[in-house]
Amino acid sequence: MEIYLPIAQMSVHWLIVLAMGFGVGFLSGIFGIGGGFLLTPLLIFYGIPPGVAVATTASQVSGVTFSGALAHWRRRTLDLKMGAVMLAGGLVGTAVGVHLFAVLRRMGQSEFSVSASYVILLGSVGGIMLNESIRAWRAARAGRPAAGRRPGQHNWIHGLPFKTRFRQSRLYISAVPPVALGFVVGVLSAIMGVGGAFLMVPVMVYLLKMPTNVVVGTSMFQVLFVTSAAVILHAVDNYTVDIVLAAILILGGVFGVQYGVRFAAKLRGEQIRFLLALLILAVAACLFVEMVARPADLYSVVAGTP
Amino acid sequence: MRAAWAALLLVAAPAPAEEDLVSGLSQDIVQITSDYTGTDLIVFGAVEQPVENGVGDVVVVVRGPDAAMTVRRKDRLAGIWINDARARFVLPSFYFVASTRPLRQIAAEETLARYELGLSRLHADPLASDGDPAPFVAALVRAEARSGLYRQNPAGVEMLGATLFRVRVPVPAAVPRGSYNVEVYLFRDGNVVSAQSTPLYVDQTGFERRLYDFAHSRPLYYGVATVLLAVFLGWASTLFFRRRE
Repeated sequence: MEIYLPIAQMSVHWLIVLAMGFGVGFLSGIFGIGGGFLLTPLLIFYGIPPGVAVATTASQVSGVTFSGALAHWRRRTLDLKMGAVMLAGGLVGTAVGVHLFAVLRRMGQSEFSVSASYVILLGSVGGIMLNESIRAWRAARAGRPAAGRRPGQHNWIHGLPFKTRFRQSRLYISAVPPVALGFVVGVLSAIMGVGGAFLMVPVMVYLLKMPTNVVVGTSMFQVLFVTSAAVILHAVDNYTVDIVLAAILILGGVFGVQYGVRFAAKLRGEQIRFLLALLILAVAACLFVEMVARPADLYSVVAGTP
Repeated sequence: MRAAWAALLLVAAPAPAEEDLVSGLSQDIVQITSDYTGTDLIVFGAVEQPVENGVGDVVVVVRGPDAAMTVRRKDRLAGIWINDARARFVLPSFYFVASTRPLRQIAAEETLARYELGLSRLHADPLASDGDPAPFVAALVRAEARSGLYRQNPAGVEMLGATLFRVRVPVPAAVPRGSYNVEVYLFRDGNVVSAQSTPLYVDQTGFERRLYDFAHSRPLYYGVATVLLAVFLGWASTLFFRRRE
């Protein structure tokens, strides 16, 4: 059955949209990513105007991450303290990022810089994760202790001030790295239009050395607030949030994320990281091909927008 | 059938017509509801006082509200395709033209251009352009034709007998809202001898309309409401799953 979207001003098949929401929600549940970097291109491919796709994706991510964060909270795999500390840096970073984006847009290269930073970030993050997770997986298979997390090992992070105990993550580290991470992710998410969890998850795992299952719940908590702020900003500034499209996507997404969280509970940390690395590399490869391949139509139309 | 059309004409076309052309629409408002997937609009009419050598040619044009369109062109720089040039101009957001014969056989090029008849003769007002705007306009017409918003049908005017005509105008799902204009031209010997223009409105109704108004009149509340909806659905789904466990 087709359904008409009042803001996008077009009709869509609700089952297809529901399935998109479910699929991306499922991946969110497994990896703790918002899924914005997957859903936005999917919606644009389906014919939703890009502005509406970006803004409405943010509302889907809000619903999905709330559902996921709640599920992790009940399973005690959400570090509320860590999430709050990162969020403080994240909100400042978002404000800085919005300003930076305006500067890039005035220079006329916002689209290119977004694509390029996606490819570089996704490519390097995915590559590092893939390499590490394969080694950890092999080690686990050979019966050796996993090399990923060594609680006794100290790195430069332990030399920083403002040491705080993060009980849920079983960490006693400085609050500076989480705040800095939140800030960087906030800047990037404002520029790239996504929640930024795909970047946050690897840093939390490798640099902060948080347990993978706690990382997922905690990143969802942070993404929930970042994307909710984005929805409201988009609604006020651009009138591009389509609540009907959002409702269908969220409905599919929240069920997807619940199945994803359950599915993830059956997987080991390095398996989750391996699969996420593959996903990130696949998206990076697609974007790279798009940048270098000759487009089907050199001209693109943006109707009714400045 | 002919009698039925004639009867319909008498009721539905009270608008003052020029002496030898009367026309009307099957509906003068297209209402977009939640199950709207596109519709067909029928333009019908009659040519009176047929002259000896036929009734002449009928051309029907439907124009949507004007919109500012931006077209960007990608160029290759160091192996990477990036948006390089752009043009902005004003064109109708919907355009349909149908005629009894191919337009070029009906009138001279300059006459057709004056009335903007035909996709290649749309007059775009450039607001800004990097270089010649013509290829940008052509690219826009291609894109709009792909999405069904621009259409040209050289055999779209169906003659029912000697004097009655009928045109089916497909209105796609993605049609923009606003006030449209339906123009009917009667050509004889390459000149417009009679013309008629009828307004048509495309608008959302009911729930869709209220949502659209809400989003534009109180955007902050609308945004907050969307977030609350998201949070509520997220919470409801966890309840659903907890009950099943």
